[in-house]
Amino acid sequence: MEFIWKIGGEAGMGIMASGLTMCKAFTRGGLSAVGYPEYPSLVRGGENTFQIRVGEDVHAPLKKNHLVVCLNRPTVDFHREQVYENGAIIYDSSATKIEPGEFGADKALLDVPLLRLATDNGGDVIMRNTVALGASIAFMGYDISLLEQVLAETFARKGQQVVDQNVKIARAGHDYMLHNYKAQMESFKFKIRKKSDSRKMVISGNEAIALGAAAGGLKLFSAYPMTPSSSIMHYIAQKELDFDIIMKQTEDEIAAVQYAIGANFAGVRAATATSGGGFSLMAESLGLSALSETPVTIFLAQRPGPSTCLPTWTEQADLKFALNASQGEFLRIVLAPGDMHECFHYAARALNLADKYQLPVILLSDKYLSETFFSCAKFDMGVKIERGKMITKDMKPLPLNARYKRYLITKDGISPRPIPGVIGGEHVSGSYEHFENGYSAETFSVRAAMVDKRMRKINSILKEDFEMPKLYGAEDAELTLICWGSHKGIALEAAKILNSEGMKVNVLHFVFLFPLDAKNLKKLFRKLNRTVMVENNRTSQLAGVLKEYAGFRPDFKLLKYDGRQFFPEEIASEVKKLKEKNWKGKKEIHVIDNLPYDYLQAGKVER
Amino acid sequence: MSSIQELTTKEKPQWCPGCGNFGLHMALKGALSELGIPKEKTVLVSGVGCSGKASHYINTYGFESLHGRSVTVASGVKLANHGLTVIAEGGDGDGYGIGSAHFLHSFRRNIDLTYIVHDNSIYGLTTGQASPTSQHGMKTKSTPHGNLEMQFNPLAVAIAAGGTFVARVFAGDMAHMKEVFKQALQHKGFALVDVLQPCVTFNKLNTFAWWQQRVYKLESAGHDPKNKAAAMEKAFEEMSSNYSKIPTGVFYKEERPTYVDESPQLASGPLIGHAVKSAEIEKAFEEFM
Repeated sequence: MEFIWKIGGEAGMGIMASGLTMCKAFTRGGLSAVGYPEYPSLVRGGENTFQIRVGEDVHAPLKKNHLVVCLNRPTVDFHREQVYENGAIIYDSSATKIEPGEFGADKALLDVPLLRLATDNGGDVIMRNTVALGASIAFMGYDISLLEQVLAETFARKGQQVVDQNVKIARAGHDYMLHNYKAQMESFKFKIRKKSDSRKMVISGNEAIALGAAAGGLKLFSAYPMTPSSSIMHYIAQKELDFDIIMKQTEDEIAAVQYAIGANFAGVRAATATSGGGFSLMAESLGLSALSETPVTIFLAQRPGPSTCLPTWTEQADLKFALNASQGEFLRIVLAPGDMHECFHYAARALNLADKYQLPVILLSDKYLSETFFSCAKFDMGVKIERGKMITKDMKPLPLNARYKRYLITKDGISPRPIPGVIGGEHVSGSYEHFENGYSAETFSVRAAMVDKRMRKINSILKEDFEMPKLYGAEDAELTLICWGSHKGIALEAAKILNSEGMKVNVLHFVFLFPLDAKNLKKLFRKLNRTVMVENNRTSQLAGVLKEYAGFRPDFKLLKYDGRQFFPEEIASEVKKLKEKNWKGKKEIHVIDNLPYDYLQAGKVER
Repeated sequence: MSSIQELTTKEKPQWCPGCGNFGLHMALKGALSELGIPKEKTVLVSGVGCSGKASHYINTYGFESLHGRSVTVASGVKLANHGLTVIAEGGDGDGYGIGSAHFLHSFRRNIDLTYIVHDNSIYGLTTGQASPTSQHGMKTKSTPHGNLEMQFNPLAVAIAAGGTFVARVFAGDMAHMKEVFKQALQHKGFALVDVLQPCVTFNKLNTFAWWQQRVYKLESAGHDPKNKAAAMEKAFEEMSSNYSKIPTGVFYKEERPTYVDESPQLASGPLIGHAVKSAEIEKAFEEFM
């Protein structure tokens, strides 16, 4: 049982809100939903869509749809080739013209007076969406009471009258469908039914990251707006009073990361979030965190680059940037969660690691993971906060006879760190190379000893905290899809398709991207059969990193860099083609969506 | 409280003999000592440049940030623990050049910091290039044919940007400097003290004698620091008098709630003592259902 529903219209038509409402209605019926929004970088006009794939256990969107609600003409043009055979289209002929047969004779064209039903029932033009939701639910055979529940809760704050009106309007769409398209409904093969009553969350990667950070003791969050990281800021700002967190919007990303460094120096857990352009501005401060050994956590939501590029689309092309940003050589930890639970868990973990090792930690997501919504069980609040070797004033007093050695050379490279307010801990933390007591050291032996001290932390990280990539599926698979971060669910779905067609495919997914345990990775790679690297970038950055650190070369590389993430069926189809060629085809395959009509075209008159 | 001696580290200052920084730091330590501010509860954040060394020579907590970024780290420190006395120091290139965005926004934000700018109208540590406060026509290593740019006016900008304490002192007058530092440290809000000082090695124009002949004290001229229009006029006097009269002292002062005062989360005390709101976070999960 699986169903793919999509709604499309101009920015400002309330596409996102409608999509979220539907996701919740599906999730409450014991189903698993993936809500995937796409939108260009503008506030009004253009083409915005929200697709929901719903089933028993789904982890990624697919390209085609069973039922599409077209609120404007570009949605029609864009989706002509993106509706499954025998699928259906809901539209309102008073606003959008569709010629018979435009979608092919097999499709049901369902003209529903969305605007009229909204206004006749006392609603506003914007409420045509709600009519469309009711009509969609009727057509797919789903339970309207679940939609009504969600609407009631969403609008509860606005009073019973608003709730009643929304429910009435959704009902109007639902009933119109039942009365006018009975025959079409009966011949429509795709249906989705409620499975059970369920209480799960519908949450995006950014919200999961924000909650994980809060649970991990985040107290100050400083950031500058940048898509696709901004919704972390929005969520924390919205909850700052309840969660007792200071959300500080700063004048730029330099200030954002610097506020976080200052707060961490003073003993308060602080983090920032940004995307590539902002991270470029933070690069110098990344080194400041490393040299001064002041913890800092950066949530880096990738989007295509270089420069401003495609602000609202996705790519995994900042891995090497995250690994190498800032001058000089220093240690940092780079993590890339792959699903909602990992976003929550590793956001909290990032704060622990930054404190424990006194260095910058970067958590990589991307537009796809950050802004896509998934049904997900409640997070486990069992987050243990570990502050490492931080000295606070309620601990044993420090000796007062000598200047405190903030950068004491230790076996594990980590030096106890008193925070301001602790008597006897006065010291200078700084951006210059220093002696153990923090004073500037232009002394070769000291310089080398300090580099070694800082680098030595890698041993403890690998021993105590590093996690090997996880292998999902049969250990003796004939083929392994290797991916990182956001592409976990996508690769798992691709493997599922291939396995259902008789292959034996598993998935190796990396969360810990740096540092890497070369020895154990080499052992693991030796056990794999044929390998296919799947990366949402042009140069296969993880393959480069694995070659450098573990001497590994994948057999094939599947790369996509057109602004969208992979769709599972693209991976499956390319793997099948490789197999058909008896694995003798090209080693590097670029997957590009050549759509006859695309989003950017929809928003503009000229090209 | 800590004595001047206790506030002095054993690190030997790397400033040139005769540099205004010596007097500046003596005055700052005197102010901290006289106000009885404990050293372990003081954080001095410096940027990079000759002024950047400031955090090494004072026995408080110190953080030597990046070039132009003392105010930003200091702001983070203060929001994290507003029980601390937080001082930011930087130079004219540091604060008015590379860090100018932070300079500008600090005034409207009004976080309770004392920001001391070592203003010697030159880049000293990089051996003598023009700075934002170098005079028009001034010859430096980077402007050998004369500086083509107007001199930056930090005081006028500070007042216009919403500054609540805007002052200027001359490094050659230690007693006055100490008094103004004390006022700045006691001011609730973002306090700017621009310190006019010679760079004895690289600025051959604005020497001790040059300043000495031109500076006068606003308090002895009957200036009312609550009068914003008069403050603005005084901020332009240096240029309007063609450098014949340079006012020092407190130009402008106003009481306005600080950023911390207006943050409801901080009403119960410094952020550092706050617990994780686990119950609230768990409750938030429900809102996603």
